[in-house]
Amino acid sequence: MRLGTVIGRVTLSRTVPALIGARWLIISPFTREHFQQGSDAPPGLSKDPSLVVYDDLGGGVGQTIGFVEGREAACPFDQPTPVDAINGALVDHIFYNPFKK
Amino acid sequence: MFLARIEGNLTATRKHPSFAGWRLIICQPINQTGEAEGVPQVAIDPLGAGMHERVIISSDGMAARKAVGDDKSPVRWMITAIVDEATPA
Repeated sequence: MRLGTVIGRVTLSRTVPALIGARWLIISPFTREHFQQGSDAPPGLSKDPSLVVYDDLGGGVGQTIGFVEGREAACPFDQPTPVDAINGALVDHIFYNPFKK
Repeated sequence: MFLARIEGNLTATRKHPSFAGWRLIICQPINQTGEAEGVPQVAIDPLGAGMHERVIISSDGMAARKAVGDDKSPVRWMITAIVDEATPA
C-alpha cells in the first residue's frame, strides 16, 4: 500500500461491464518528501505521475488514502476485473518519524 | 522483497475489512548502506517490529492474503522478517 492525496474524481459513461457503477479517484502519490513535511503542511502535487484508483470506501477530494497497486488490487472482486489500483484505507492519522543516522 | 526501515505507522477507521486489527507500518526501503531509496510502502506487521528497526518486506500478495485470512483482501506488502545484522559485501 502507498499513500496519496485525493486530487480529483473521474466519472465514466462507457466502461467494460465489470466496472459499471464504480467510483474513481485521482491520486497524487506521496513521496518521501511528503512524509517528512508532516500532516499539517499542504501536501502539494508530487513529481510522480498521478493515478486513477478504484474506490469503494468513499474517499473525498483533499483526503489522504492508502491505495494498493498491482495484481492484488483486483482480488476483492468476484469476477475478473481490469483494476490496477484500489483504495484500501482512508487514513485518519499518520505517525512518521524519519530515521537519522 | 526489500530491505526497509520502519519509520512510522498509520491509523485508518474506514478500510478494507481484512485490514482490521493489523498494524499498518510505514516502511522506507533502504540500500545496503542504510540510506533511504524509493518511496515508503505501508505494510501489515504480523511480527511486532519496532520503530527504526530494519525489516524485510515482501510484496507477495498470496502470502499476505493467507496471513490476514481473507482470499479477497487487496493486501500486498507484509513484514516477513526483522533484520539482526546485514553485511554488505
